[in-house]
Amino acid sequence: MIFKVILNACSARAAEQAAELNAFMGSHLSSDGHEGGTVLFAPVQAPTGEILKMAPTASATLVRVARYQPENFLAALQTLEGGSDTELYLFPSGHAGSEMAVRWAFRQKGSSLVQVQAIKPDPEGLTAAKAVYADHVTGTFRLRRKPYCISPARGGAGRRTPAAGGTQIDAEYDLTGLAADAFVKKVREQPETAVPKLETARFVVVGGMGMGGREKAARLQHIAAALGAEFGVSRPAAMNAWAALDKLVGVSGTMTSADVCIAAGVSGAAALYAGIENCGFIAAINTDPRAPIVKGADAAVIDDCNAVMEALFKLVEQKERDR
Amino acid sequence: MNILVCFSVVPELEMMFAEDWVVDADLHIDVGFLKCGLNCFDESALETALKFRDAAEQRQRPTCLSALTIAGSEADPVARSLLALRFDRVVRIDPPTDMRFHPFAAATLISRYVARHAAQDVVMMGWQSGIGQNAQTPLLTAEMLGWPCITQVTGAAPAHRRHLAVASRTDDGRLEQTVQAPCLLSVANAPHSCLRVPTLKDRMRHGKRPIETMAFQDIDTAAEPIALCALHVIRRTRNGVCIEGDGPEEKAKALYHDYLKQRLAPL
Repeated sequence: MIFKVILNACSARAAEQAAELNAFMGSHLSSDGHEGGTVLFAPVQAPTGEILKMAPTASATLVRVARYQPENFLAALQTLEGGSDTELYLFPSGHAGSEMAVRWAFRQKGSSLVQVQAIKPDPEGLTAAKAVYADHVTGTFRLRRKPYCISPARGGAGRRTPAAGGTQIDAEYDLTGLAADAFVKKVREQPETAVPKLETARFVVVGGMGMGGREKAARLQHIAAALGAEFGVSRPAAMNAWAALDKLVGVSGTMTSADVCIAAGVSGAAALYAGIENCGFIAAINTDPRAPIVKGADAAVIDDCNAVMEALFKLVEQKERDR
Repeated sequence: MNILVCFSVVPELEMMFAEDWVVDADLHIDVGFLKCGLNCFDESALETALKFRDAAEQRQRPTCLSALTIAGSEADPVARSLLALRFDRVVRIDPPTDMRFHPFAAATLISRYVARHAAQDVVMMGWQSGIGQNAQTPLLTAEMLGWPCITQVTGAAPAHRRHLAVASRTDDGRLEQTVQAPCLLSVANAPHSCLRVPTLKDRMRHGKRPIETMAFQDIDTAAEPIALCALHVIRRTRNGVCIEGDGPEEKAKALYHDYLKQRLAPL
């Protein structure tokens, strides 16, 4: 199968996304019979050598753009790839990769699937698997039309393999003057340069509606910090403004693969659980013994999460004092 | 400004017990006994549109709000609430087929409605819904309409004529843009976006207007670029060992000494 990897080096997360794509390709495109290249979108100031290191294929095409703007990226891809014989496009995980995959497939009269967990090329084309039914079920789909455009599911820090890096730039284009974004009259970007600590933390405490309110969530965040853990919350807790949205854990927030996770007062909704399922050890604290998180945990305490976390805090504090 | 918000009513899947998850030979899972509610991202889109109208009214700028769903009568309670919240029109399109995994068909219906029946300046909808989880409908709708699409939207407010200020998230942070209509806004985790509750007075005054229903017969689901082949229920279980003890202190002690202490030491 002839494939192309599309990387967005305008993003500060490009290296992680490239490593994630490289791991995905290693798992699903490792057999013979596949050949491909990489298209690297990058801002003018980004050093070529640094960008080329991210490429999971030996050769790459470098496209200089002003910034990530989907309408312009699509116009650029049309210039480069319109009418090409590429059968499979691999876009990064994340928001940009997903939107590009779907819109590019539409424009090429192909088929797309995003948040993909696995792909399987076969003589008829390609099948792909992804979570459906709010992450309770895996659906396998046949992609009926070429080119197939895929964006993998975000897998957290545990599913990344840095690429060996490209060796040559086949062609370089300056498309900084594209103006397909003329509908945008004013733009202000507020970058968050650091990768969310929740994503890379080795110890996390995730609070849910069982915390019982914003003040209790603030207290649990304080306890988490004192224990040396990063604090996250479920979507309902975030939507109730018990914590900032960047603390959201789950499929629409951060996916963590911490060594230890304490799930405090979370029911274990599948969308949340998918965000912590790669953690090494999960301890659940919940008043309801039938809550799904209890079965999904390695160990569970059936009690009020605030009371147990306070007791844990005092215990650790005492140990520190005794040292 | 004319704004259309698309919404879906979805079963509350978290109410299912493990044994309820059974896939039949036709690749269906019986969720018919579950209570239905608004898809959480569509709820944010609806509230974002209402906030937009509040801000526009303060500037004496007329805003016409419509809501559209592709659903059976299970969506009617939500539709009536939207009428009570002074949505000017609420339209329900009868689903021509099982729409679970047909984002292309959904986008075709929405774009046809906009093109043939009600010209709009802005279309808003949640970025994905619970069952299909396809994250494609807003993007495909934008492509079919030939409009730009802003994804991961967290807020929208009126700007000068036919322009709007849109806040969104990207892979790298936040983005604030002033954009010209028409455009499609795909709404994600918008803060403070639980849908407001209509007053009894508004229910009486506005909520009894009719829900418009439509049907499009010529939707060809065979044209869908993807086809479902299999469904497998995910069983996520670990040991689930219950820590016993008298009271939270004793349980916390057992949790710490038996499970956490050794694991946390090297961190």
